[in-house]
Amino acid sequence: MKKRTARMVSLVLTLALCATGCGKKSDEGKETSATTNPTATQSASNDSTSSADTGATEGEQKYPEFLTVDVFANESNYEGIETGWFAKIVKDKFNMELNIISPNVSGGGDTLFTTRSAAGDLGDIVIIGCENDRLKDTVTAGLLYDMTDLVAGSETMSQYTEAIAKVKGLVGEDKVYAMPKTVSSQNAAEPSETTDLGFGAFIRWDYYQELGCPELNTLEDILPVMKQMQDAHPTSDSGNPAYAFSLFKDWDGNMMNLGEQPARMYGYNETGFVLHKVDGSDYDSIIDSDSIYVRGLKFFFEANQLGILDPESTTQNWDTLWNKYVDGAVMFSPWSWQGPSAYNTTENTEAGKGIKYVPIKDTQIISTGGSPAGVQVVIGIGSKAEDPQRMFDFIEWLYSPEGVLANCSPDSGAAGPEGLTWELVDGECKLTDFGKQAFANPDTVVPDEWGGGTWRDGASALNYKAVLDTDINPETGVSYSYKMWDSYISENSNPVDKSWSEKYGVDTMIELVMKDNNYVVEAGTSYIAPGESSDITALRNQCKSKIVDYSWRMCFAKDEAEFESLLTEMQETVKSLGYDDVLAYDMQCAQDKDAARAEAKNASK
Amino acid sequence: MAKAKAEKVPQQAVRKKKEKGIPEKYRLFLIALPFLVLVFIFSYLPLYGWRYAFYDYKPPLKLSQCDYVGFKWFTMLFRNKGWVTQIVNVLKNTFAMSGLGILVSVLPVAFAIFLSEIKCKWAKNLIQTLTTLPNFISWVIVYSVAFSLFSTTGMVNSVLTDLGVISAPISFLDSPDHVWLKMCLWGVWKGVGWSSIMYLAAISSCDQELYEAARVDGAGRFRLMWHITLPQLLPTYFVLLMLSVANILSNGMEQYYVFANAFNKDKIQVLDYYVYTISMGGGNTYSLGVAIGILKSIVSVTLLFIVNKISKKVRGESIV
Repeated sequence: MKKRTARMVSLVLTLALCATGCGKKSDEGKETSATTNPTATQSASNDSTSSADTGATEGEQKYPEFLTVDVFANESNYEGIETGWFAKIVKDKFNMELNIISPNVSGGGDTLFTTRSAAGDLGDIVIIGCENDRLKDTVTAGLLYDMTDLVAGSETMSQYTEAIAKVKGLVGEDKVYAMPKTVSSQNAAEPSETTDLGFGAFIRWDYYQELGCPELNTLEDILPVMKQMQDAHPTSDSGNPAYAFSLFKDWDGNMMNLGEQPARMYGYNETGFVLHKVDGSDYDSIIDSDSIYVRGLKFFFEANQLGILDPESTTQNWDTLWNKYVDGAVMFSPWSWQGPSAYNTTENTEAGKGIKYVPIKDTQIISTGGSPAGVQVVIGIGSKAEDPQRMFDFIEWLYSPEGVLANCSPDSGAAGPEGLTWELVDGECKLTDFGKQAFANPDTVVPDEWGGGTWRDGASALNYKAVLDTDINPETGVSYSYKMWDSYISENSNPVDKSWSEKYGVDTMIELVMKDNNYVVEAGTSYIAPGESSDITALRNQCKSKIVDYSWRMCFAKDEAEFESLLTEMQETVKSLGYDDVLAYDMQCAQDKDAARAEAKNASK
Repeated sequence: MAKAKAEKVPQQAVRKKKEKGIPEKYRLFLIALPFLVLVFIFSYLPLYGWRYAFYDYKPPLKLSQCDYVGFKWFTMLFRNKGWVTQIVNVLKNTFAMSGLGILVSVLPVAFAIFLSEIKCKWAKNLIQTLTTLPNFISWVIVYSVAFSLFSTTGMVNSVLTDLGVISAPISFLDSPDHVWLKMCLWGVWKGVGWSSIMYLAAISSCDQELYEAARVDGAGRFRLMWHITLPQLLPTYFVLLMLSVANILSNGMEQYYVFANAFNKDKIQVLDYYVYTISMGGGNTYSLGVAIGILKSIVSVTLLFIVNKISKKVRGESIV
């Protein structure tokens, strides 16, 4: 009997121990969040002492009650309470903190959106996409707050008439429930990018120069060049194996995302299973043997045959790949915001190493035109928000010049808060010393009076650009983006940029593609595909997972024969699943979209 | 002692009085009630969710705002050749994996018998602990271990390349070859120790007199195992076997979910994983997912009854 009780006691004790073990863990979590917080609270207290004469911050005077605001941020890549310099600005202005809820971090696709909307409360502030009738459905489900009157009464917001008209159209009511992302007052038919287009062939510039900058006539000409490069430089900066190409699968949707990228270099964009030229001149069903998509797959297949495609491509994710770029383990990137952003640090470029755009003669790279009505993402107020007025004030601030500047990403785009990263000197905008340092190295520590912490960690985690950053700031007369400021362009140059400019005789990629006529503008429109029926959705999901799987297998096929047989197999499989029904629907949408684009182009002329 | 007895008497009187208050049958029912509530909440209440299969459910709309579509989703599964081929393929994988699982279900029995023969106590405990532990490691972690061992740049490939055995890395994880077998082996590694616990318990309750009698008759160690231990384990084994046959359609999804990739998807997609992909894993066709789930439940219940019938006929006792 005694033994048994002794055993029971020991069992209870072990369980208790486990429980305390678990408890400690969560405590630790709290502690770390608390340790990141002191900078904020400390600086807040600093601030309150500095503004001791007024007694409280602007936010505290206006909004006496402190709020923690849940933000359902569809685009964010951070989850938790926002800390650092941006959080301090928000705290000072609105007396609130942002608790970011991010589906990207939680994973599982739409699951978080679904469960939260089933619970009837998405958050106090809601940022969602609006494809496939989503905005309309969210409104119907009663999850968004009607902000028609608030918008009408706001000078900042009411100027975006086209954007307002667009969201009204999306909901099908004469009410405003949300505002679109990236509104702009620029011409829809002109490139809206600052210096680089989003897509293109971005290649290790120093290696390319070593080979004597061979001329590239078409996409496939890159392959032998990249092969030579990899043979000459088989290892990365840290001594790991380096590859010309490396892929990842996180963004696979209707098709394999990386396989689709070459199409972007030839002016094709995606509408479901259709890749269509943005000027409306060509429509490809992606599974056709002669489609631009299959050409992309073939391109990576040939790369793999040459041994210049990273075998880890099949299993790695975006983060792993990013670190490879940082390490110089990958020599090609299809995006200006991937390879160049990761590798072209001050340290590397000073040493003459960098990834730069290299022109291919027959390409027509997609450039995004300005879109007055914004893109397919919107911001709104949750129907259960505690203080809708304050939520609206915050959203309005995001669309105001001050908000656009502060709500910047840490390594590009808008210039950040005035006085910290930039200042007006004799009427001209100039980056401060801190600004130059921070944009070159986002891990720079922010001064304590601005909230401390690093520049990167403190930047806004919303990942929501309210206004296009190449738009002109009415308060300074120059763009929000510092990269277009004369002061920045004249001061900022390094050996890599210099040699690139010398070779091509221009300063930026935009100028080069314009000179060579290697671009095509995707005119900004307010067109959004109508919601698709659930039948189409069900068919599409079956087909797309097959297409994605087969695409990967084709890229890594043993030989040409296997590639071809997989292609045929894919075509047969998806067709038997009902691919043609989906294609017919997508084709219609693509044509409607192009019609809208043509209209926007004409309107802007 | 006498004092204690004296105190007990009035207590008993009180108890009798109380028994008068609530009759025995209700008392027993009340004791069982919490468990009935649990079963109701976790096993029957979810059935209410089956109604989603008959609507065109599209979040974030509430179900009441969606259209009623009747049996549309059920017929969709059979609407064309592609879908049927796909479902057949999924069922093939499901049966193959479950079948392999049933085939290797003798391993825990053998393991338990051999383990119980180890006389050195600490070695026995050590082995048992080490083999039970994997059961508590989640599949995600198992995969990350598998990944660092078997990926193209993993330990096995690096060692083999360094030794000069192979020139190009072998893709263990992303190849469509022997997927069923590989999955089965991972399952065995994870589960064998855990499943043997029940047999070990059965062995410890074996009648020792049988062993003594057999020994007197001159039986050796292996004879004892074969003629005494094994027959005593068989009833337990059969009950578990029947249950796993009834459960043949549900082999879980975590394992297949973490190991799946573009290269082995055709061989690894089992029913549970397929339902997950359709409803949540990017598919978002919840209604269709629920419909397949319903079909699965119906088939499983039918299987259970068939197996029960067989069991009654063959062994003379039912299992449910």
